[in-house]
Amino acid sequence: MVSCFSGYKKMKAFIAVLFICISCAVYSYTPSTGDIKPDDPRLMEGMKLFKANCGACHKVDAKLVGPALANVWERWESEEKLIAWIKNSSAVIASGDPYANKIFNEYGKSVMTAFPSLTNEQILSIIDYTRAKTADPNFGNPPGTGSTTPQGATAKPNNSLWYIVAGFLLVLALGLIAVTRKLDDLVKEKEGEPIDNRPLLQKIFTRRVKSALILLAILAFGANIMKGAIGLGRSQGYKPEQPIKFSHALHAGQNKIDCQYCHSGAEKSRHAVIPSVNVCMNCHKYVSQGPKYGKKEIAKIYKYSGWDPTTGTFANQPKPIEWVKVHNLPDHVYFNHSQHVKVGGIECQTCHGNIQEMEEVQQFAPLSMGWCINCHRQTEVKFSENKYYSIFDKYHDDIKSGKKDKVTVEDIGGAECQKCHY
Amino acid sequence: MSEIKYWKSLEELNETPEYKDKASKEFQEEIPGLDMFESASEGSGTDRRDFLKVMGFSVSAAALAASCKTPVKKAVPYVFNGNEQIPEVVPGVADFYATTYYDGSSFVNLVAKVREGRPIKLEGNTDAPFTKGGTSARSQASILSLYDATRLKCPVKGNKAISWNQADKEITSKLAEINAAGGKIAILTGSLGSVVTKKAIEKLKVKYSNAVHVAYDAVSQYAIRKANTISLGTGIIPSYQFDKANVIVGFNCDFLGTWLNPVEFAKQYATNRVPSKENPTMSRHHQFQSAMTITGASADYRYPIKPSEEKLALIALYNAVAAKVGGSVISGAKAFANKAAIDKVAGELAANKGRSLVVSGTNNVENQLLVNAINGLLGNYGITITGRSLNVKEGNDDALATLVADIKSGAVQGLILLGANPVYNTPYADVFKSAIGKLKLSVSLNDRSDETGSLAQYVCPDNHYLETWDLLEPKSGYYCFVQPTINPIFDTRAASETLTKWAGEQTTAYDLVKAESAAMGSWENNLQLGFVDNSSAAGVSCNVGASIAGVNASAGAASGTEVVFYEKVAIGDGTFANNPLLQEMPDPISKTTWDNYVCVPYSWAKEKDMKLWLREAPIAKVSFNGKSVELPVMISFGLPKDTVAIAVGYGRTKAGKAGDNVGKNVYDLLKPGQFSADNVKIELTGKGYKLGMNQQYHTLQEDNNLPSRPRRYRNSIIKEANLKQYQAKHNAGNEDREEIKEHLLTLYGYHPYQSHHWALSVDMNSCIGCGACVIACNVENNVPVVGKERVYKGQEMHWMRIDRYFSGDPDNPDVSFQPMMCQHCNNAPCENVCPVNATNHSSEGLNQMAYNRCIGTRYCANNCPFKVRRFNWLDYQGNDSFGKWTDATAAEYMYEDLTRMVLNPDVTVRTRGVIEKCSMCVQRIQEGKLTAKKENRTLRDGDIKTACQTSCPTNAIIFGDINDGNSAVHKAFFEEERNYHLFEELHFLTNVGYKVKVRNKDEEPALYFTPVMKEEDIKGIVK
Repeated sequence: MVSCFSGYKKMKAFIAVLFICISCAVYSYTPSTGDIKPDDPRLMEGMKLFKANCGACHKVDAKLVGPALANVWERWESEEKLIAWIKNSSAVIASGDPYANKIFNEYGKSVMTAFPSLTNEQILSIIDYTRAKTADPNFGNPPGTGSTTPQGATAKPNNSLWYIVAGFLLVLALGLIAVTRKLDDLVKEKEGEPIDNRPLLQKIFTRRVKSALILLAILAFGANIMKGAIGLGRSQGYKPEQPIKFSHALHAGQNKIDCQYCHSGAEKSRHAVIPSVNVCMNCHKYVSQGPKYGKKEIAKIYKYSGWDPTTGTFANQPKPIEWVKVHNLPDHVYFNHSQHVKVGGIECQTCHGNIQEMEEVQQFAPLSMGWCINCHRQTEVKFSENKYYSIFDKYHDDIKSGKKDKVTVEDIGGAECQKCHY
Repeated sequence: MSEIKYWKSLEELNETPEYKDKASKEFQEEIPGLDMFESASEGSGTDRRDFLKVMGFSVSAAALAASCKTPVKKAVPYVFNGNEQIPEVVPGVADFYATTYYDGSSFVNLVAKVREGRPIKLEGNTDAPFTKGGTSARSQASILSLYDATRLKCPVKGNKAISWNQADKEITSKLAEINAAGGKIAILTGSLGSVVTKKAIEKLKVKYSNAVHVAYDAVSQYAIRKANTISLGTGIIPSYQFDKANVIVGFNCDFLGTWLNPVEFAKQYATNRVPSKENPTMSRHHQFQSAMTITGASADYRYPIKPSEEKLALIALYNAVAAKVGGSVISGAKAFANKAAIDKVAGELAANKGRSLVVSGTNNVENQLLVNAINGLLGNYGITITGRSLNVKEGNDDALATLVADIKSGAVQGLILLGANPVYNTPYADVFKSAIGKLKLSVSLNDRSDETGSLAQYVCPDNHYLETWDLLEPKSGYYCFVQPTINPIFDTRAASETLTKWAGEQTTAYDLVKAESAAMGSWENNLQLGFVDNSSAAGVSCNVGASIAGVNASAGAASGTEVVFYEKVAIGDGTFANNPLLQEMPDPISKTTWDNYVCVPYSWAKEKDMKLWLREAPIAKVSFNGKSVELPVMISFGLPKDTVAIAVGYGRTKAGKAGDNVGKNVYDLLKPGQFSADNVKIELTGKGYKLGMNQQYHTLQEDNNLPSRPRRYRNSIIKEANLKQYQAKHNAGNEDREEIKEHLLTLYGYHPYQSHHWALSVDMNSCIGCGACVIACNVENNVPVVGKERVYKGQEMHWMRIDRYFSGDPDNPDVSFQPMMCQHCNNAPCENVCPVNATNHSSEGLNQMAYNRCIGTRYCANNCPFKVRRFNWLDYQGNDSFGKWTDATAAEYMYEDLTRMVLNPDVTVRTRGVIEKCSMCVQRIQEGKLTAKKENRTLRDGDIKTACQTSCPTNAIIFGDINDGNSAVHKAFFEEERNYHLFEELHFLTNVGYKVKVRNKDEEPALYFTPVMKEEDIKGIVK
């Protein structure tokens, strides 16, 4: 009998372990993220330059505003000519170069932006990148995905399977409870002890359990109210309709236009800057039709910018586009984009999510203080790279002596009130 | 042992019980707002039902607010015309444009900080050769005048808006008509300074042959020009070099505050006023004066004289100097009473021939001739006075008198006013008031419909200087550019353009400036620099004989009590009366805001045995020149017996919301060109008046109740020594510091400062109390204006104040200025008592204040020994989502939609119910650090400067990182023996250091040092 009793106890312990396993299984799920493999630094440099300078108008494999760049080096009679063209296309056209004039006329006599600041070395690295990209259209993309998955951004995990497993286990556990109770009763009956004949549910929901449940309910209600109160003014997932159906998926994702081509303040200012309609017109003077809405949405840009597509001139008075602001911080928070983008080297997607896949932009992060602080606690600063941090003698010593392996934003005071509130 | 007693107010001097009571409190009044509950049950305060009502309202209001939808915010980017070149502007990054402030009596080279197309702050232009980056309170505050909603929105005729075209057409035809009929056209202006406007007036005079140009100044210095015509042969105001003078003697001349170009003079003056180890010398400054000014306060020796005594003193000084250096003597004058003073001053002047400077600010030709003669005898011309003309105060009293006669006679039929408001600020107010309606044409070009403009037929408003093109010549050969920092907010037009158009030339102010500066080199470079200086000092020599020939020694006796009129540092002549920042800036000496008053000497108060708590000042009727005015009485230390002083610039009636009916106007009581009067009668009316003073509270107190401590008076707050003591021992006056440091004990741990450790060093020797820092702080940090009523209640919000202490003889006291802001204690009493940790210490030494965490218990303010924490009793900025539960007047002064454009977007606008205080301009610290990080370099000393520091005309404030061994503030803290910290014996470990005030006096200050703590005392405390 003793053995039976102990078996019953073991069963109970097994059930408890089972529950813990279920919970752990559900909550510990974290998806893995893809990473860009570091490659030949020269090609990486070329890729970076391409994205920053060329990507707005050119693709390697297809026509955009300008011609596709695949095999561009073959189309020109010499590399020097090509470099001269990139540095200042007007001069090459003026020199009477036949190919230059041909391409100029072919593309509606629109002048390519001059890049006098690029060095020959840099231009060659861009050409090398286009070479690599021509050879392997997936070059520079993270393996498997075909598109860049940024660090920190997580794909939504498919949880339903786990819930099914959890549910199954739960039913199993309840069944096992019933079985053990039955066995218990059988033992008691055999030994001549009084048997509890109440229904199973009544047996489980004793007075003590009931009061505990009521307490739990009150706590849960309170917690819910708290959560609601804390959530006031927070709008994660906010996805307002915009005056123009601008698609980041098309521009940033498909066309791979660098974020900072439009959001040019991100490295310079506290604001990333919403581009003026003039920036749109840099390309849309030539691109008058989109893949999804045709001419309809682009016509709106023309209206705002005062552009008359029939004559190809800015004929009317421009007026600003009133975009609906998606990411709103309270007035008492000071946030600076350049601090994060330029100094911290944080990817846009860390806070804004996979913007290159969003048709319509929505607020990805909660933008709560806890979220900010949490990141500041975990994120490492570029401690050895940036000379500004050279004054932190103690941390440098600690790193040398092995006491510290990294310096986080919090370590340098990034969790203090007056770093963001003043 | 004898001690120096320092006092801030009459009450403190006399230690009245009421003073003691108030001084021990942080807040002067009971909690405001609660009075609304008082009536509920006969003054028993809030009862349970009221509490429940309020609580119920709050909860339901909060619930209502919470259930509302989050408002949709728009992000509207810039847009540019695609055909034009697109300017490079980055929202969120400030642009800086060089420009120039000129108000007729001073000029300041500035750099305007522009964010998203709106100017938000003015900084001194450090490249400028004369003002060298210094600013004044008025130039700092002028940014708010740009957003003054009282400015006219377009040209008006009568009260009706008209178009510029219509105005131009009607006015030019009337001008032609008057001119053809032989009527005179008078162009009455203030001091212009503008080359292009003067050219425009010349063109107008060519077009209309009967036009005359008359300039006048409300507070005139015409006597200097007149005297110089005789002495120097040219009617200029010369340039003064206070930095080259070892001995400076001022006669009623507030050259650090209001006289001519105070910022330039303060820069020069300060260079010789700070002794250092390398150069332990100072200039000697004597000041003879009637009204107490900041210049007198900075002087080593002050001699109170009645206004009429100035001439006697000057004659006596001239004779004494002449006796020493050789020269003809003036005879026939009454003897000057204080012969000892004259002998001392004359002796020092004679010993410093060519290295001294005598100046007078009195608008009296004879006095100015005497000053010229003394400077001539001493050979100061060419050294401390140079021939380069200072083009301020260009007014001509005689021409104004002639014009008034012409107006009376009817010869003048057209009147064009520019920067002139004669109905308000001349003694001829009545003439103008009655004549202006009868003129065929009267036009005002002022920016608002002021006292005179409202009577004129047309007002064609000029731009504010921050939205216009202009070219000034404030010194001969020194051209300063004024460039727009914003598009004109209203439909206004530059006066130079308006006048040129009326002269028949179609042009713009931009073209005028461009044409005028065509020969000055690169336009872009000039604009970037803000000035062109293509001249050097011109020679000048003085004809002493001719000068004294013009002096009638026996004439000009005065009798009875005398009154002298002075300008306040902030309000000046009253032109900018509608600037609430200036109105709320406490006068450096009287510490009073929003009012003028009659300053009476301490001796007078003693005679009358006046009630001493001056927060209820008695009103007196002051009669002179056959007229009278009723003003509150202010007891002033340092005024001579039988002399009273009244500030001009108040009592505006058409200035705007903030400026109207503040104080009383006394311009119309003056005799033309004369800023004093005799035979004054003062009668107390028996009525009382509340003055908004701020020196009665925020009293720093040493705890005299500790039994073990000797009774001392603020000797750990103000420390001073004389120059000889300093030369003998560099820590003179600061001897107790070593002992204090030995005995420092703490129960708390020290903060480790890994990176930076921010600190401020304030030099009390440089500080002249001018208040530029106070205004700069207000503008930089969005500090609200609260209005007189609130200041009276002790609820003004200034993060920074300048404490003014008197010491010595109450009839002629020494003055010490002490800028006071949050001391950022490393052992901060405020941090320990906050129940929600809203105020805490940063890893860089800042005492941080998180507004959004603050729940308004005010324990911190109560525990602050420096009384620098300010509580937002009301929603001063009018931003409350529940509407305005505010003091309507306070919000109205400043916070309309337009005026809110001046707010600094990098600084939070605080809400009701939270504490705020000096943050050491943390927004600038963060910006400076970020720039260094972006440029991948360490922070350099001087990268970050606080607003108070950049505004200071005397470099009294240094900010920096004391962890950086090479920083200026590190040197000030650890290598300068004058450095001390307030209440150091109490171990607050403040991050603000002060430097001992050294006066260049021959007499030693009374020995005031008593050992602070003995060994057993400390044991007693620690136990």
